[in-house]
Amino acid sequence: MPVAGLAAPPVIDLDGLRVKLGGRPILNGLTASLKGRCIGLLGPNVAGKTTLLHTLLGFYPPSEGTARILGLDIRSQLREVRALLGYMPENDAFIAGLTGIRFVRLMAELSGLPPAQAIERAHEVLFYVGLGEARYRSVDSYSLGMKQLAKLAQALVHGPKVLFLDEPTNGLDPPARERMLRLIRDIRDTGEVNVILSSHLLRDVEECCEEVLVLKQGEIAVYCDLEAERRGNRRFLEMEIRAEADGEHAAFAAAVESLGCECAVGARQRLKLVLPDNLEIRDLYRLASERQVQIRRLDYKRDSLEDIFLKAMEGSGNGRL
Amino acid sequence: MNADRQVVFDNVSKFYGEVLGINRVSLSVPPGITGLVGPNGSGKTTLMNLMVGLLQPTRGSVRVLGMSADHPEELFRHVGYATQYDGFPPGFTGYQFIESYLRIHGFEKTEAEALTWKAIERVGLVEAAGRKVAGYSKGMRQRIKLAQAIAHQPSVLVLDEPLNGLDPMARAEVIALFRELADGGLHVIVSSHILHEVDLISDQVVLLNGGYVVAEGAISGVRDEMEEEHPAQVLIRCSRPSLLASRVFEHDHVVEARIHDDGKGLLVRTRDADKFYLLLNQVVLDNDLTVETVMPTDSDVNAVYQYLIVGNGEKP
Amino acid sequence: MAVYERSYGRYTGPATSEASRFLVLPRYAYEVVFKSKLFAGFLALCFAPPFFGLLIIYLYHNASALQLFGLTPEKLAQIFPIGGDFFFSGIWIQGALSFLLVLFVGPALVSPDLRNNGLPLYLSRPFSRTEYVLGKMSVLVILLSAITWVPGMLLLLLQGYLEGAGWLARNWRITLGVFVGSWVWIIYLSLFALAVSAWMKWKPVARVTLALLFFVLMGFGGAISGILNTRWGMVVSSWHVIDAVWVSLFGLDPGSTLPPAGASWVALAGGCLIFLWLLSRRIRAYEVVR
Repeated sequence: MPVAGLAAPPVIDLDGLRVKLGGRPILNGLTASLKGRCIGLLGPNVAGKTTLLHTLLGFYPPSEGTARILGLDIRSQLREVRALLGYMPENDAFIAGLTGIRFVRLMAELSGLPPAQAIERAHEVLFYVGLGEARYRSVDSYSLGMKQLAKLAQALVHGPKVLFLDEPTNGLDPPARERMLRLIRDIRDTGEVNVILSSHLLRDVEECCEEVLVLKQGEIAVYCDLEAERRGNRRFLEMEIRAEADGEHAAFAAAVESLGCECAVGARQRLKLVLPDNLEIRDLYRLASERQVQIRRLDYKRDSLEDIFLKAMEGSGNGRL
Repeated sequence: MNADRQVVFDNVSKFYGEVLGINRVSLSVPPGITGLVGPNGSGKTTLMNLMVGLLQPTRGSVRVLGMSADHPEELFRHVGYATQYDGFPPGFTGYQFIESYLRIHGFEKTEAEALTWKAIERVGLVEAAGRKVAGYSKGMRQRIKLAQAIAHQPSVLVLDEPLNGLDPMARAEVIALFRELADGGLHVIVSSHILHEVDLISDQVVLLNGGYVVAEGAISGVRDEMEEEHPAQVLIRCSRPSLLASRVFEHDHVVEARIHDDGKGLLVRTRDADKFYLLLNQVVLDNDLTVETVMPTDSDVNAVYQYLIVGNGEKP
Repeated sequence: MAVYERSYGRYTGPATSEASRFLVLPRYAYEVVFKSKLFAGFLALCFAPPFFGLLIIYLYHNASALQLFGLTPEKLAQIFPIGGDFFFSGIWIQGALSFLLVLFVGPALVSPDLRNNGLPLYLSRPFSRTEYVLGKMSVLVILLSAITWVPGMLLLLLQGYLEGAGWLARNWRITLGVFVGSWVWIIYLSLFALAVSAWMKWKPVARVTLALLFFVLMGFGGAISGILNTRWGMVVSSWHVIDAVWVSLFGLDPGSTLPPAGASWVALAGGCLIFLWLLSRRIRAYEVVR
């Protein structure tokens, strides 16, 4: 029970966490205090992201250090911790021979819901993720997208406080990806759950998460607050132009630079600029009007996460095999 | 462009008994990076299998750089294919996997060795090449498949979801590799579900739905063609949206102008994007407007996908 | 009335007791198992021998009914003497039927979960590996109990009631044989089936493996006994071993083909330990890294 006056405990609190698998050290002393509504977990394949999730779920014991989820210690209070968690594994995971509804009901009852409430919640959650009549069919017959939704449903049905999503958009085609990301943002916005999203797709993490933890070779490479980063980016612009004349992109960039901005031409002919204090966007428009150039897109820098990630990966090796 | 430098589908249909693969597809794929996009079951895999000569069309003809699947030894020499599924001979190491493949192609031992190492270096798996493929992580398996596809230095590369499972750095490296290969004159055909990546890397895209090609070409060209039915939509965040609205409405090509929900932006729909943007320059300067951002909301592959595929009843 | 918003909400209702949570597994398993008409028929058949025994006991104490069959109590006592042998035969028959039941139900218990990576879903909940094994075992234990010691004890009680004071006390070995004998076989069989199901990915393969292990070892034991001219060879045969244990519990004469009782107990215990070890190797949340 939280005592009046104390702040809410961090979602995940790691203190010198070390984990060894098969004798090899995988996590080497992680210390962090994660608080956001949606926290991204990034890193190369062997950095230990999945190991961290599995350790927090209690599948492996830590060899040293502690980890607490919402104030509960995973070593001594594992059962209570698990009651708060929902896990959507990366790999295919289901119980064969059951229909969607039976599957989610079983998971609900195993989490402690009485049968009557379990069937209600199961239907509610299947409705929420968007599995309609398909819930009465055997899970074996589901397409990949539907299996992902069923996995999400079983992670939500018992009403966890912390949700672990491991590559939730894996293998989904574009509309299904959009739907999944929309669901994740919706879940985040209800304010009732903290979401930990582990993914290789920076765009997904950028769209959903406010904080990001980047792992590298079993250690924390960087932990940053995306909101703060975005707020600080106001003078960094990205621009896409289109013109009749060939080679206009380079010429325009040169013209912009002569105005006093730093400017570079990036992938797909997109211009990245830093606007100095004495210049306004209107000045860019003047330039565009003079040169008969269309400014097709003008926006703040959107890939701050990519920069953060790449910078984190610099240094001794890149932590990859 | 000379047909011998393209991958040409001429009215190709492929049926598996009664089941549809692709139906009356005509395509000319130029060199460069081509993105292949479409829902699961739309015919992408069939198209790719036809391109590399693993399948024969039921009707029509497929010619890859002038060669066809009638002469497979010739075709296979020039085509590299990396599938979505993992099928590795058990017990092989990464090196053996590629080297044996090259030997089957007919390369001499020393040449095969050299080419193998070259491919392995290009995908960055030098340290892991001596280990068994069965022990590789997902990302490594993707890369060894890619290495096998490029080892014999083909002219046409067909890759099914090659970035699946790769971490962000590996993605960037593989994308750079594609760019390098494409700049060298190769046809690099990549199928993917990650539309913003397709946007970023492709020179042209092919959209498939239900066995038909619904659009092909450079994405900006495709979008321009759709302007009549789907006017371009642009969101402009600025200081005085209503003033901007009245000014742009004076022009015929603007069909809709709507103030954004938060009152600080204007959503415009226009049938002629070129005219509109030049107009915008003028309006901003004449009225001394402060523009914050300009964002087309439906000009990317994602939007085209929505309009052409999802909008046409494809169950998502 | 409340208006339900289509959004995610936390669960705030009551929770079931943690101790009995593993019983969720048998409940779900039975819904599937009893759908098979073949199995339902087989289960009904398993009650036939106890029913027959019930008839005999009743006839013993009901002379007028006996006359319908043209028998007298003395003649009946010659054909079906009620004593250790009577109940031993009952347990023997039900024991054999138990093996068939386990062949039916056992293989489907663990292999589908392992084949589809279902274990992380179980174990990410407040649900331990032990509870998982207990739950799966209960599927078998409950069914097997229903066809072994439950009818057995009921028959015993009936006999004791009809026979009058002291019969049960004098024949305490029979009670021991029925109750303990059933439980030993139940636990051994259940663990055997679970271990095989955990190591074979496919249901039919698990079924065949279980049957093969049972019969092949029996044959193997027979071969050893024959060649080395000893009773000890039969220690590898599950059926002979349990037979020996039952015989010793009932206090009957073992004869010359069965292995010694002490060795049989050890064999059963050893088997159970091996099965538990096999289960602990396979019931894991994560895949073993090569």
